[in-house]
Amino acid sequence: MILINRKSDNQLRALVQCSRLLLQRLSTAFVLGLMMTTSAAAETVLIKGGKVMTLGEAGTLARADILVRDDRIVNVAADLSDSPVDRTIDASGKLVTPGLWAPITELGLIEIGAAASTNDAAVMDEHIGAAFDPVPAFNPRSTLIPFNRAGGITRAIVMPASEDKIFAGKGFAINLSGSFDSVVKPSLAQRIYLGEYGAELAGGSRANAYAQVKAALTQAREYADNKAAIRRGDWRTLDYSLEDLAALQPIISGEQPVLIRADRASDILQVLELADTFRLNVIIEGAAEGWMVAEQLAAAGVPVVLDPLRNSPDAFERLGARLENPALLQKAGVTILIGSPGYAGTHNSYLSRQGAGNAVAYGLPYDEALKAVSVNIARAFGFDGGVIAPGAVADIVIWSGDPLEVTSHPEVVLIDGATQSLVTRSTRLRDRYLHPKPGHEHGYSY
Amino acid sequence: MQLSTGLKRYCSAWAFTVLGVLLTGCGGDDSKSADDTRGFARQSAFPSTYEVKETKPVLIQSATILTGTGERLEDTDLLLKDGKIARLGKDLKASEDTLVVVAEGKWVTPGIIDVHSHLGDYPAPAIESSQDGNEMTAPNTAQVWAEHSVWTQDPQFSLALAGGVTTLQILPGSANLFGGRGVTLKNVPGRRVQDMKFPGAPYGLKMACGENPKRVYGGKGQLPSTRMGNVAGYREAWIAAAAYKKKWEEYRENGGDAPERDLQLETLAGVLSGEILVHNHCYRGEEMAIMMDVASEFDFQISTFHHAVEAYKVADLLAENNVCAAMWADWWGFKHEAFDMTEANIAIVDQAGACAMIHSDSAIGIQHLNEETAKAMAAGRRAGFDIQPEHAVQWMTLNPAKALGIEEMTGTLEKGKMGDVVVWSGDPFSVYSKAEKVFIDGELMFDRDDPSRQPRSDFELGILDAEGERL
Repeated sequence: MILINRKSDNQLRALVQCSRLLLQRLSTAFVLGLMMTTSAAAETVLIKGGKVMTLGEAGTLARADILVRDDRIVNVAADLSDSPVDRTIDASGKLVTPGLWAPITELGLIEIGAAASTNDAAVMDEHIGAAFDPVPAFNPRSTLIPFNRAGGITRAIVMPASEDKIFAGKGFAINLSGSFDSVVKPSLAQRIYLGEYGAELAGGSRANAYAQVKAALTQAREYADNKAAIRRGDWRTLDYSLEDLAALQPIISGEQPVLIRADRASDILQVLELADTFRLNVIIEGAAEGWMVAEQLAAAGVPVVLDPLRNSPDAFERLGARLENPALLQKAGVTILIGSPGYAGTHNSYLSRQGAGNAVAYGLPYDEALKAVSVNIARAFGFDGGVIAPGAVADIVIWSGDPLEVTSHPEVVLIDGATQSLVTRSTRLRDRYLHPKPGHEHGYSY
Repeated sequence: MQLSTGLKRYCSAWAFTVLGVLLTGCGGDDSKSADDTRGFARQSAFPSTYEVKETKPVLIQSATILTGTGERLEDTDLLLKDGKIARLGKDLKASEDTLVVVAEGKWVTPGIIDVHSHLGDYPAPAIESSQDGNEMTAPNTAQVWAEHSVWTQDPQFSLALAGGVTTLQILPGSANLFGGRGVTLKNVPGRRVQDMKFPGAPYGLKMACGENPKRVYGGKGQLPSTRMGNVAGYREAWIAAAAYKKKWEEYRENGGDAPERDLQLETLAGVLSGEILVHNHCYRGEEMAIMMDVASEFDFQISTFHHAVEAYKVADLLAENNVCAAMWADWWGFKHEAFDMTEANIAIVDQAGACAMIHSDSAIGIQHLNEETAKAMAAGRRAGFDIQPEHAVQWMTLNPAKALGIEEMTGTLEKGKMGDVVVWSGDPFSVYSKAEKVFIDGELMFDRDDPSRQPRSDFELGILDAEGERL
């Protein structure tokens, strides 16, 4: 157990800090409905004596202190016990890592998979494609958020899905504080489906999906070069709505990453060609046969989001699926991002740790596996988080053991420097029914 | 069909199992006539042709052994002879022809048993033409048998083997109130499904509660469209089955004209006569309670609730009714009846004295049942229970064997049981450990260090590269 010592409990100071933080967020981010205060006010915290895997330049420190002020890490060093702090968290004998990132989720957009009314991730509407922005549907109070936070995920990329278009829409980044201001960055990335699913959405052929992407990107360029005339209506008829073409602008300028799904080796090569032609900032999602074209991926500098457990040849486009995929890709110099196992989906995003552990069992160096569930994801999506270093955002997890072991769990989770609750609906149910017995008293427990 | 001596032994052992079921044939022509007229299970209709090949002795030396009986033995040897567990002990000696496995630092467990799989019926690749796991055409399809859909060349069997799975039950899907019969297979290559059939294992009947049947048939505007419609469907079927059973029993007693056979009722009557085990897809606590009442009304026993996400709410009832629960470590939220998940589910059911186990229902999950068990064990400890690996291992070996009615033959490392054994590179409850060697009936079916002992299905030959194998 971790002991949290509250050295001073200056509520006034906390309130001031809280208001300042809120003001900062109001000015930098956008507002989602009614603002509420975050769960804990930021303060100065010393995390003492843990084995710190910084995942940054400092590497792994056998025993180090981490000083956190407000939402940032101030310092990481062998001994910072002289620093005046509000709280000390004893992490001696424990492993400390940056908070983990989930690269592709529907957190806050989905509550129960088979209950349509609780799903806002995917739409089926002719008018919505690249411009689809799911942020207004985002629910930071979803039960999935505390559950995954208790599993060590502190930040996630939330991506829309699509059931009828190869352009799914815009993804955004969140933290898992559960607060109403937890959208970190809207309009973060676009999602495109190629491969088998793209073919299905594009009339039955991969080639048509590819042609549709090319046409859209070409028309997005046309739009960029002739915006005024097009908006006046003084231009040829384009196939895509102006909203969709506008949404593609940050893609063709390379500002926004674009997530493209492709598993088959030949599909991956097509994505690389597309990325090259349009100078896209591509992240490949799936890449089951990535190991077969690892050198090309490395040469193109294209990162991949992997599910390391996906080794079944469950589709003809994944005949080459294998457990060594992450190791082979990493070895070739490809940046790998590890997501939740497909069968667990968004609800258990934190199981990316299990996937990463399996990737280690099949040859991926341990540190690289940890990076694949944290800093690599942050970087690929343009954030500087995912590390424990001075100046970095203070998302930190203290673990009961090796974070990649399935038997380990987070004991303390900090997001933006604030300690988070690790209570979930699942732990509440557990505690109510720990010793099930007849009668109605369970209805009055907790 | 020639029966090996090993098979004959299994058959006779089976006759003494707790179920007290009259054996209805293990594939021998000689036993067929009598059994077919007496039983409803028709065990000999598609007889097991699984053979234990002559195996040389195997000596696994100096391992940490989780016996599956609740014991953990350090630095201990395990001897397999004639395909069976022969001895456990220190410094065991073996004859010259013995395959010796030096297992210092390694762990040994019984073979993993998955009580809920669709391999072969939902094979890889999952293209439309191979989706043979769910006869979704009527709420009651008790007449279909999962084994008749099994594509024995499904490459996922060997992936499961590499995960230490030696036995698995293939079940029909869950669209129907009565999905049909499941079949228990040894995880060995076979041209025919009969070559894989676990000799003497009783059949299972797949039933399903809750959302699936009412969605599938309610969506078509027919019964059932509600949970109460589901229960009405079960009860009507059991009434018909009871009448069918009575008719046959009267005929067997008094002679006369044989009643007409009805495949659907035959399977249900097999449940009522105790020959066929009920495997009931059921998520919610209150639905499990109802199903136990249905079983009581028609005087049959439910073997196991599958996907029992809320088993922890009724763990005491499960224990009282001697019903097992097969659970995931942490799946949830994909539908409403899977919303109330706790990771301590297996541990709570176990600690309440009921028979708890892990299961996969997944071609990926089946490869990692040791990790899934590890997660459930860790969650149990966090809940405050003292659960050690020697106990938790039973959630993936002994208890699924009980659920399948084969615990007299496999599921633990006890003298005389089948030589179904996994040698792990380390603690099987570590994510980094791998099954290194898997023995089925004493035969080395998988060896991570020897590509020639890694089975390849027909599908895998030349599929990525004409001159190569899949991987």
